[in-house]
Amino acid sequence: MPVARSSNVVLAVVCLVSWGAAPTMAQSGDPLAVGRKMLAEDNPGELWIEQGKTLFHQKRGPKSASLEQCNFGLGPGKLDGATTQLPRYFPDTDRVQDLESRLVTCMVQLQGFNHDDLVKRAISPAGSNGSDVEALALYITSRSNGMKMNVSLSHPKEQEMYKVGEYLFFRRSGQTDFACVQCHGAADKRIRLQDLIHMTSKQGVQEVVSTWPAYRGAHFVVRTMQWRLYDCFWQMRLPELKYASETSIALTTYLHYQGNGAVVKVPGFKR
Amino acid sequence: MKKTWLKWAALGTPALIAAGCATYPDQATTRQIAEKMVSEDFSAPMPTLLKRLVQDRSQQICSKIGDAKLTQAEAAEVVELARASIQYPQSGKLVGDWKAGDKLAHDGAGDRIQFGILEKRKENGGLCQNCHALAPGEINVGNVGPSLTGYGLQRGNSEAVAKLTYERIYNGWAYAPCSNMPRLGATGHLTPEQITHMVAYLIDPQSPINRKQ
Repeated sequence: MPVARSSNVVLAVVCLVSWGAAPTMAQSGDPLAVGRKMLAEDNPGELWIEQGKTLFHQKRGPKSASLEQCNFGLGPGKLDGATTQLPRYFPDTDRVQDLESRLVTCMVQLQGFNHDDLVKRAISPAGSNGSDVEALALYITSRSNGMKMNVSLSHPKEQEMYKVGEYLFFRRSGQTDFACVQCHGAADKRIRLQDLIHMTSKQGVQEVVSTWPAYRGAHFVVRTMQWRLYDCFWQMRLPELKYASETSIALTTYLHYQGNGAVVKVPGFKR
Repeated sequence: MKKTWLKWAALGTPALIAAGCATYPDQATTRQIAEKMVSEDFSAPMPTLLKRLVQDRSQQICSKIGDAKLTQAEAAEVVELARASIQYPQSGKLVGDWKAGDKLAHDGAGDRIQFGILEKRKENGGLCQNCHALAPGEINVGNVGPSLTGYGLQRGNSEAVAKLTYERIYNGWAYAPCSNMPRLGATGHLTPEQITHMVAYLIDPQSPINRKQ
């Protein structure tokens, strides 16, 4: 790491000399990183874990049932390590599902919640107390903390979702001509002062797959992977990505499979 | 002889099937499934806004997966389409007001869709600050694109520079096919008049971007 850093400095000096003009901060990294690190050490997102645990065991919804019978792939109610294998193919729905779409399936089937209502409220307003789905997603993912991501593509539908996700990652459209890769295809890039994760590198993609759900400082709530994807499409000036849609699951499958081996550590902390 | 052939066929068929399965889905199938998903998985307050998801020919060519490179013919087609797309302001004046351009360069809003509402403003922001270093000393700037600090100092403000700058903002793919730079004029994100202001911001000697450090 120090070697890489010093070569960056050399590069930076070369660039400064050859361009004659360079932004003051571009090469010296993110000046907010120190503050972010301090906040991450005392992550307010932890509070959502307890809330999610309570919601998981409580009898709720029109059917007055808990989520204890929900099968995230390892069997009903088996949560330890479950999200390390997601997204995966589920025979009962005959779909590849990520954590959040599976959660919605269970809340509809076991608890009797209305699908459209759930989806509409899944992403909470900034500054609110967060949604049930957000808290549940964090709690369930936290039960994989310390374990390695291990997504399989053994089912043809999983393979299909992976390839489709890859296609979508590079698919440019809209008035900004952006696909994901325009911002996430190179190292050490920023939009204004915000670091962009280099998702075509192993290290970058592993950071992505191991840190969501995360506490988002600017919104004062816990955000999920579904939100992250939704928000990117918003900035790209594209229409609104539907919650737990096939497109979102395809992109998540693509990223999660590549991130295999990453150790889950949630809640992450984002600016 | 015949037996050997049979033996190879018996061994080879499963191998071929396995190879076929390993590469499933092929490119055409992947594309078909993905495009169907895109057409179903987004919502917008007005149906016309869903057209934003539909790729034009250049976007299709420029969506290479992984490290796949453009062929020469593809690059030439993108350049040709880009050249044909460029429209100039009715006034014919390519250099507008650098102050208006400064404001635009630091404006990243406009035309986004959230909670079923289109962010409608008098005009869209120019988005420059998101990706480019601008005036010397500005800290809150991105680095996805090259630094524009001192753009005019390095190039001057001749008519040729003004025209090149205008065209590179309107549709940069005329010079760098499939680059990360959005085709801000060609896609309709900015108007020709807005682009003239951004040209002025970049090349006018009075513009803060050309302040000597």
